[in-house]
Amino acid sequence: MARRTSNDPQAIANVLRLIPAKWLVGMLVALVLYFFLQPKLNAWFGWNLPSIAAMAGNETPAKPASPKSASTKSASTKSASPKPAQPKAAQPELASTNPAQPKSAQPKTASTKPSAEPTKSPVTAKTQQQDDSKYRILKPLGRDRYESPAGLIYAPGSEEGHRLSHIARHLEDQPDRPGSHGVFDGDMAAFLVAIDDAYKRARGHAKGTKSRLEDGMTVYEAPFDQTIGYLGGTEGARKKNPKLKKLRLVLRDRNLITAFPIQ
Amino acid sequence: MAKPFLIYVKQCPVCGDGLCRVRVCHDLQRGRLTGCILCDECETVWTDPTLKQKFLRGKVEGTPCCPDCGQPLWEPNSHWADIPEVCLLGWYDSVQIVRKENRDQIV
Ligand SMILES: [Zn+2]
Ligand SMILES: [Zn+2]
Repeated sequence: MARRTSNDPQAIANVLRLIPAKWLVGMLVALVLYFFLQPKLNAWFGWNLPSIAAMAGNETPAKPASPKSASTKSASTKSASPKPAQPKAAQPELASTNPAQPKSAQPKTASTKPSAEPTKSPVTAKTQQQDDSKYRILKPLGRDRYESPAGLIYAPGSEEGHRLSHIARHLEDQPDRPGSHGVFDGDMAAFLVAIDDAYKRARGHAKGTKSRLEDGMTVYEAPFDQTIGYLGGTEGARKKNPKLKKLRLVLRDRNLITAFPIQ
Repeated sequence: MAKPFLIYVKQCPVCGDGLCRVRVCHDLQRGRLTGCILCDECETVWTDPTLKQKFLRGKVEGTPCCPDCGQPLWEPNSHWADIPEVCLLGWYDSVQIVRKENRDQIV
């Protein structure tokens, strides 16, 4: 009976005509409020209030109420407790181990990452991560290649396995090494800045710079106003480690092969 | 593997700081050892200790390669020559041999 009257538009119209306008407005407000509050009340208190759609007969009350309340209940208890934050907090951790990976891939990130880098040992990955933070001026290009602001490329190669490791030999003296060994007086970050500076000036043929081609390689030299290092090796020791104010770079295209201070 | 001796021809005429050292390549396919000279700084390759002839084209771009087989010289089948190998190559009279005081500093 009730269902039939509620579904009969003529009957509804007749009933509405009998109700004062004030009441109608109040009922409408109540309906709107119910519409918004029903799912929340179900979620907060675990009630099983039917939705307006269900009451109108477009939806069975069981459908929206019970599974919805069950799911929203669990969701709400999670969001109320600090626990649900944990999976989210775990995402940046995953991302930090692999900065290049997009955040969206969560479990897949973990599975694809090792297969994407089959040749890299955990040690190299760690070193690379340290390098990333250490040599902040370099932009990672992928596959362990880095680009400096001036456009020099630091890539895998050399006896040490990477050009960055190779030029790091010039951050310390090798007193027993025969001949001269240019030593840069500073850390790797400062060395990279000096190399970029020398490269830009030498490429632009700035005053005092030199460049020559050597069978596919380019050798640049650039003077500095101040001392940038000293002469090491046996030759340096013999000369009492004179201070050096020039930098020599050896490049193959834009790839840096080596760099060191010279006399 | 650090060796107790550093064997080199001279300081590199190309880069100035490197040492022209004897590099040995073990060609596994043909089963033979070949030698060349490699600068440990700028990676210029010469076919022999006279440093008259450079080797420029290998099988891999951007890395020094063996003048005989063309394979990269930084791969595990290549190494710095020891004294017997230098003798075998007939280059003993062309090289200087330095005993390493500190093995960690000269590798
Ligand atoms: Zn050289
Ligand atoms: Zn070979």
